[in-house]
Amino acid sequence: MLDNSQLRCLEALLDTIIPPDDFPGAVDAGVADYLLRQLAGDLAELLPSYRQWLGDLDAESRASRDKPFAELNVEERTSLLNGVERGEVTTDWSVEPEPFFRQVVEHCAEGYYSDPTNGGNRDGVGWRMIGYEVRG
Amino acid sequence: MTNFDAIVVGSGAGGGVAAALLAEAGKSVLLLERGRNLSFDAVGRDHLRNQRMPVYGHNAGPDIEGNPRTLEPDSFPIPVGRELGNLRLLRPHEPGYQNNAACVGSGTRVYAGQAWRFMPQDFRMASEYGVPEGSSLADWPISYDDLAPFYQKVEWEVGICGDHRSMTHLPAYEKPYPMPALPKHGLEALGWRSMRVPRLINSVPYNERPGCIHCQQCVGFACPADAKNGSHNTTVPRALRSGHCALRTEVMAQRLACSEGGRVVGVTTVDADGHETTFTADVVVLSCGAVETARLLLNSATSQEPSGIGNAGDHVGRHLQGHYYSGAVGLFPDIMWDGVGPGCSIATSQFNHDNDDIIGGGFLGDEDIVTPVTLWKRHYPPDAPRWGIEAKRYMRENFRRISDVIGPVQEIPTPEARVDINPDLKDRYGIPVAHLSGLAHPETVRTAAFMHERAKEWLWASGAVKVWGQPPPRYLSGGQHQAGTCRMGDDPASSVVNSFCRVHSQDNLFIADGSPHVTNGGFNPVETIMALAWRTAENIVNNW
Repeated sequence: MLDNSQLRCLEALLDTIIPPDDFPGAVDAGVADYLLRQLAGDLAELLPSYRQWLGDLDAESRASRDKPFAELNVEERTSLLNGVERGEVTTDWSVEPEPFFRQVVEHCAEGYYSDPTNGGNRDGVGWRMIGYEVRG
Repeated sequence: MTNFDAIVVGSGAGGGVAAALLAEAGKSVLLLERGRNLSFDAVGRDHLRNQRMPVYGHNAGPDIEGNPRTLEPDSFPIPVGRELGNLRLLRPHEPGYQNNAACVGSGTRVYAGQAWRFMPQDFRMASEYGVPEGSSLADWPISYDDLAPFYQKVEWEVGICGDHRSMTHLPAYEKPYPMPALPKHGLEALGWRSMRVPRLINSVPYNERPGCIHCQQCVGFACPADAKNGSHNTTVPRALRSGHCALRTEVMAQRLACSEGGRVVGVTTVDADGHETTFTADVVVLSCGAVETARLLLNSATSQEPSGIGNAGDHVGRHLQGHYYSGAVGLFPDIMWDGVGPGCSIATSQFNHDNDDIIGGGFLGDEDIVTPVTLWKRHYPPDAPRWGIEAKRYMRENFRRISDVIGPVQEIPTPEARVDINPDLKDRYGIPVAHLSGLAHPETVRTAAFMHERAKEWLWASGAVKVWGQPPPRYLSGGQHQAGTCRMGDDPASSVVNSFCRVHSQDNLFIADGSPHVTNGGFNPVETIMALAWRTAENIVNNW
């Protein structure tokens, strides 16, 4: 569905949106699995935009920081995404950067905080972190 | 068998009651339901696809493909669904569709069962407040006293828990609730007149089913303990146990079958394979919800009633209303979360009436238990970080400290808020779909803004350190509390059904859902729908 570089970019992106600390980051919590499942289902119409936007993000990263997005450290990724969020980009994006980023953030949170049967929130880790206890 | 004494279309709150009473009176009843009979597992616990949070679908029907509606673009503040010419094309889980669940029990399968009696003033809104310009505000042809005995029957026979002594906004009850209220928790309602929220939930074992286990996935889901009392486990089984009721699921009512003289003689249905069947009966009861009941009447035009059955006065489908929900969210220094479902246990009726320069009002209560993704999407502060380590910490630190206060606003009806037929678009059964147009009356928006301020006041007074939220914008309301599209009245020129919910132009066609509600109170309407259906069905039986 995504090629290797797109997948690496996506995982780095998700782990910047919900980074690891003493609780797992997005990728270890299964959010990439959630999103890939959605892109094959409910969000299939967004797959071409996802591919393009990830490509645009990588191109922006190479242009401004000389590396693909996945090879930046978390501070660099965060700083780049702060620019994306403000619409401050240096390259020509084929998908409008900021609204799409907001959408990716929403998808990432859906994976981390919704029920584990959707593919993310592995073993209920997102719920355990915030104290949503399911009994019964 | 295609001939019955009575056909009831729809197995939700009203239809279940009607089927049970008619069948127990010995009438042969056909109960038609377009949806399926859903098990607990079939409803599931998907936090992104349920009737409360239908991001990508929902869990109690109707199927999201094959059941479209159209909407005037001006009727919703943001573009919803897809473009279809000059209209918006909506699927059932999308905003603006005004969905009610389609399954045995309809919305009662997945609700949290807030069970409110309307107040005496709610039945005489025009007399209390006058009629604002552009509205169709009117009194009901019946009063609280007419309905009180039937409220009591619903409370005892369907099963409502509550504390009648705390219902000081109502005339004294003749009998207490059959079960004590659910445990009290959450925010106390200042010095405001407050009460324990009555629920169609077993707080203790009742009617041979267990009590609530206080789980964390209540509203929008089926009950793991079978302690929520909906039509699917109360009135529909009663109808079936009588031996006189046949339940047919996955069957859609296409149109009312009429004689050459224009009298209703039954219902023509379509099944999933497109097979048409006409069932005949002496009496037909429509319980399809305010949108679908209006659609069925409008799709059943005859030469005697060319604009739709019951529609000589041009009221079928008009006055669509539901409930604006107005509230606010607060962040508290202490942990507010106690994990006790179903949630909302304290409410105030301080602002349902007698507000300065406001027509009606509504109740406010603390919120039903929310899922994490619902908090993220609906209750998250607008200025808090949405991504990065700060956002993760914010959720971690504050999920249990965020609490909201919200409630239904009594809407001021307008004839412009309307269900019509779109003759150019057919559903999977080949039936013209509902077309929705118009907007809530401006007075509804004004009341909602007033209630938003009261909600903020409650949160600040309860010790919130931060309060946020916006009053709702103007849009077309209906939703799960949909009502008003076949309004009740004594005058056939200004109403669709009489005070016993019989369609004026027919001697054997009745309505038992929210459609006859002239106004919809400032409370969840389900107990009123059940009580009114009870009164209607009892009257049908008594006059058979």
